Amino acid sequence: MKKTILIGGKAGQGIAMTSALLGKIFANAGLYVFNYRDYPSLIRGGHNFNVLSVSDSPVFSFEKDYDIIVALDQNTIEKHKKYLKKKGFILGSKKLKSRKLVSLDLEKIISEMKLPPVFGNNILVGYLTHHFGLPLSFVSGVIKKEFAKKSELIEKTIKIGYNLEHFQEEKFDVKNKAKYFFSGSEAVALGAVAAGIDIYFAYPMTPATPVLHYLARNQEKFNILAVQLENEIAVINAALGASFAGARTMVGTSGGGFALMAEACSLQGMSEVPLVAYLAQRTGPSTGVPTYTTQGDLKFALNIGHGEFPRVVVAPGDAREAFLKTQESFYLSQKYRILSIILGDKHVGESHFSFEKIGEPKIKMKDFLLKNPSLNYKSYKITKDGVSPRTVPGLGPVVRASGYEHDEWGITTEDQEKISQMTEKRLKKEEFIKREVSKLEPVKVYGKGKNLIVSWGSTKGAILDSLNQLKNFRFLQVLYLEPFPSKQVEREIKKAKKVVLVENNATGLLGKVIRENTGIFIEKKILKYNGRPFYPSEIIKKLK
Amino acid sequence: MNLQTKAQNTWCPGCFNFVILTAVQEVISELIEEKKLAQKDVAIVTGIGCHGKMFDYLNLNGFYGLHGRVIPTAIGIKLGNPKLTVIGFGGDGDTFAEGISHFLHACNMNPDIVMIVHDNQVFALTTGQMTPTTEKDYKGPSLPSGKKTEPINPIALAMSAGASFVARSSAVDKKHLKRTIKEAINHKGFSFVDVLQPCITFHNSASYLSKHIYDLKKKGHNPKNFNKAFQKALEWNYSLDEKLHIPVGVFYKERRKTLEEDFSLPKKPWYLLKRKNNYKRLFSFLG
Repeated sequence: MKKTILIGGKAGQGIAMTSALLGKIFANAGLYVFNYRDYPSLIRGGHNFNVLSVSDSPVFSFEKDYDIIVALDQNTIEKHKKYLKKKGFILGSKKLKSRKLVSLDLEKIISEMKLPPVFGNNILVGYLTHHFGLPLSFVSGVIKKEFAKKSELIEKTIKIGYNLEHFQEEKFDVKNKAKYFFSGSEAVALGAVAAGIDIYFAYPMTPATPVLHYLARNQEKFNILAVQLENEIAVINAALGASFAGARTMVGTSGGGFALMAEACSLQGMSEVPLVAYLAQRTGPSTGVPTYTTQGDLKFALNIGHGEFPRVVVAPGDAREAFLKTQESFYLSQKYRILSIILGDKHVGESHFSFEKIGEPKIKMKDFLLKNPSLNYKSYKITKDGVSPRTVPGLGPVVRASGYEHDEWGITTEDQEKISQMTEKRLKKEEFIKREVSKLEPVKVYGKGKNLIVSWGSTKGAILDSLNQLKNFRFLQVLYLEPFPSKQVEREIKKAKKVVLVENNATGLLGKVIRENTGIFIEKKILKYNGRPFYPSEIIKKLK
Repeated sequence: MNLQTKAQNTWCPGCFNFVILTAVQEVISELIEEKKLAQKDVAIVTGIGCHGKMFDYLNLNGFYGLHGRVIPTAIGIKLGNPKLTVIGFGGDGDTFAEGISHFLHACNMNPDIVMIVHDNQVFALTTGQMTPTTEKDYKGPSLPSGKKTEPINPIALAMSAGASFVARSSAVDKKHLKRTIKEAINHKGFSFVDVLQPCITFHNSASYLSKHIYDLKKKGHNPKNFNKAFQKALEWNYSLDEKLHIPVGVFYKERRKTLEEDFSLPKKPWYLLKRKNNYKRLFSFLG
């Protein structure tokens, strides 16, 4: 059984919170859940909604085809009722009007208990928990963990909703083990913690901000710092400074902020001070549509920074991959003294995904630092793999980092031979990074069909969920965009009968990257660029 | 203590940067001899411009950063290892044009770093364009008809932005410069020193500076009095006005909580922290 529930209302009514809470309860009961968040760029009023897909088999996307609409205002009903299934119903307060409405007297219950209106949401949560036949025991655990302070009141109001009279029930089978349920943003933050981050630097920018909030909220728990500075330029230069001094650092932003960081990305390339950057794409160009999703920054990430220098760009397709690939990003940046870019987007960052297990990365994190450097230490020693052994100030020898071309000691040079040598030293790392990345699953293939869907990043969910209706299609997910896994991609494309590119952008950027790296031109493209993610049905319709 | 490097010096012969360089070397050597500093625990940051070559000529840990970004880089180093004494060197174009926002926010945040500005009131390495501290009517290659606006006053700017140590010195008086830099290093908090420096090629203010400078200390100035210090800050407007006098020395100084003190930083540098990776615990946050 699979059910799709939309929860909508005005900004400030607690929609995202209620949806995540309901999702957590379902996941705790062993069900698979996907939680999509849709909100405009405003703080109070307007229209926000979340869509929860709940299923007894894995689900990573949603359809615009609802079994239940949970309406916190009349506007939600007007906006979404045309997408309500024939047998579906609307759940909400007695004050709302619809012939499909299952009405609850939320106002009366809440006012009798002298609680603020937002507690009415808990009554709806309780009602739905009962509706799907989940025992109350699945609620308590979630509430205690999520809301330490107000947990009693929340549980109490949920119970009231649970015990209200029900007009029908649709029971889920709840014999399975609890699922992990988390967002891509939480995954990036915790992936950084797993990789031993010391300081996260950021300036608020949607949709990267949840990572800043998460790490700021939990900084004492993890013994780390989350630092907000005056702008993105300060952020990235401070992150490079701190990394030079021996802290493991990451910055996070979206396209506009990353544009401001471009010069310092290039400084990273020259100074070889390790740095991880989380780029959460949103709809562009320019300010664009701040709270909506697009995969428009692939080429930007691949090319950011003037001059030629190696980097890593990795695009997780869901929250679990975000957790693992963030750790790999740290590992590669520390080991090869490079810039690692985690290329996420609003859809991966702000959606919640459920998983049976998470797993550990294939790499083992180390600090890659010389702890007893000799006094003749050279900051930019020329080595076989181009990686100069790294140490930090304070251990004895003079340690230098420079954005100017330099000799092995880090002293500025304009000497032609040295310029060539140092350029070659930096670029030599590429070959070794490529070799290492080839062991980190740079591509994944799902399904067995003879035709091939090629995509990257957040389209993964909708594509996976469409595969069971597209039996003659396989799906090639490209995770590492730089170094580009040319051989694997070429092999898969050449094996396929028909090849279709699926991207959440207007020009098929991955297609261009594939052509650049393999010479293969993919003619058939399914592109979507209205700020919304794909629904599986859209992909199925175009491929059948 | 050898703070020299083998790098070939490429400043113009007679450049006043030599004065600033030797003053810094001597101050740091003295502090090392006095056991107040260890060479390994000093880190410098330089921007881009003639001053930036300090990076090559000082045998100290250092980051040759971007134009205008000395301050955030220095703040990062300090947060990355609070045990380091961090000294930033910037030019006037570097600090007051490209990097003015960082300057104001640093005055406000009060990180424990030193910021020495080689203020020669001109872009020298790019051949003589005006900067924010260049006097009005200065004729440079980017504005041959002369600068239209009055210069900004970095001392007044720093004070109004809340800097906890605001000083001015000059490259025409090495003794004073050394004393001021030493006091800046010893101050806990954001220590700003505006070093007036003649550029012998594009903006030679040497005789004007020598003639008009006077020492605040000798006039009995009390650096704890903000209002008096602010009046002193406005006494000279960065012009070449023959009627004005240029106060040098520490204008204002207060001990205020630093940026690092605002954060709960670990006692050891980050790289010495033993972090145990407990996946079970991490997964519990994802449940």
